[in-house]
Amino acid sequence: MKLTNINKSFGNKNVLKNTTLEFPAGKTTVMVGPSGSGKSTILRSLNLLVMPESGQYEFDDHHLDFSQKVSNKDKLAIRQETGMVFQDYNLFPNKTVLGNIIEGPTQVLKQPKKEAIANAHNLLAKVDLADYGEAYPNELSGGQAQRVAIARALAMSPKYILLDEPTSALDPELELSVLKVLLQLAEEKQSMVIVTHNMVFAKHVADKIIFVENGEILYDGTPDEFFAPDNPNKRIKNFIASMTMENLK
Amino acid sequence: MWEIIKTSLPQLLAAGFKYTIPLTIISFFFGLIIALVTALIRLSRQRGAFMILKWIASFYVWLFRSTPLLVQLFIVFFGLPYLRIKGVLPHGIKLEPFTAGIITFSLNTGAYASETIRAAISSVPTGQWEAGAAIGMTRLQILWRIILPQALRVALPPLSNSFISLVKDTSLAASITIMEMIAAENYQPLLMYTLVAMVYAVFTTVLSYFQGYLERVVDRQVNANNR
Repeated sequence: MKLTNINKSFGNKNVLKNTTLEFPAGKTTVMVGPSGSGKSTILRSLNLLVMPESGQYEFDDHHLDFSQKVSNKDKLAIRQETGMVFQDYNLFPNKTVLGNIIEGPTQVLKQPKKEAIANAHNLLAKVDLADYGEAYPNELSGGQAQRVAIARALAMSPKYILLDEPTSALDPELELSVLKVLLQLAEEKQSMVIVTHNMVFAKHVADKIIFVENGEILYDGTPDEFFAPDNPNKRIKNFIASMTMENLK
Repeated sequence: MWEIIKTSLPQLLAAGFKYTIPLTIISFFFGLIIALVTALIRLSRQRGAFMILKWIASFYVWLFRSTPLLVQLFIVFFGLPYLRIKGVLPHGIKLEPFTAGIITFSLNTGAYASETIRAAISSVPTGQWEAGAAIGMTRLQILWRIILPQALRVALPPLSNSFISLVKDTSLAASITIMEMIAAENYQPLLMYTLVAMVYAVFTTVLSYFQGYLERVVDRQVNANNR
């Protein structure tokens, strides 16, 4: 998965400026940076919820040039092959947990319902919610809802899963339940791109770290170098210090 | 007095079942279809030639909401026969009273209900559209399976209001010679109209109970209290 020289502006604010990034398959790429830096815009460009104005996008057999109109067929195909987990879950409130998970497989992939349900039960077990198939989203805690959202994304067997601040709306205890699931996925070599503010988790799970500020990539490399106490980049050192609250001392 | 009631009430009920109820149900059915289509056109983000459709939809809603229903009925029933266009419509458009009633009531209800439906669809958070899109659903699939069921919960109470209003508005059909309840023969105005009022009240009360039932069913299925 690769973005080359993409540009995106909202109104007259240039959110992304000639951004070029690669997201290796089978790895976990973590994007960090201050709020409003453009991380989410990059993430949403990957499944075309945001359309950059120019630049190229390569993803498997798809080669898109954003300066041309992207066809609906490409859009739907790319979205099928990427799962997305949102900060505020966005579960369908009119459907049960099971209904949420089988919606994509039955409606988009045209899987037989029986097969989709069997698969959904496996996924629910995987996210530790085996008994919640018949529950409605408003009966779940935030952590449970987010794990259902992860199961819903996994149900499409996507090549990549994109996670947009998946635990920002959760208190630390619930956050842990979600992070554990993500760690397990990382161990299974599921390709993931995660936007997060949780530095401890980022350090733990990332194969690759991208630091974004004001639409520019200030770091793109290994977590070891990024978190190294002798990182020569003062801005990054300060950012990590404030996110891990070292500044309090 | 009881004599009059005994002879009139069956007539009134017959008129109600023959005209008022069918007129209401058929008009509301078509009105809802018109409303949904109008709302979707007005909400669409399509540009270009589609803008003409959006303009027509907005004009239609404006026209029917800003003129009296009685005048609309008169134009459709009494006015259209005079819409003579040489070669195309040499004799104007002559409609049966019942047809004219259905057309007018459908268009009128459609204009009001389209605003209800438009607001209800807009009230569903954008995150729901995005979540549907993220699993590769088409816009139509998202609309039909995710957005409309949630919008229905929001739209149901105001739509029920429109429906009950329509029941009573159909009394205007008497003015275009439809022999519905209010057109019943009438030598005792106070007694007769009171009786008519009571029959309308019974109809709408029954419908209100049905509305409550429907809301409970939708609530159970849609469960849209929060995410």
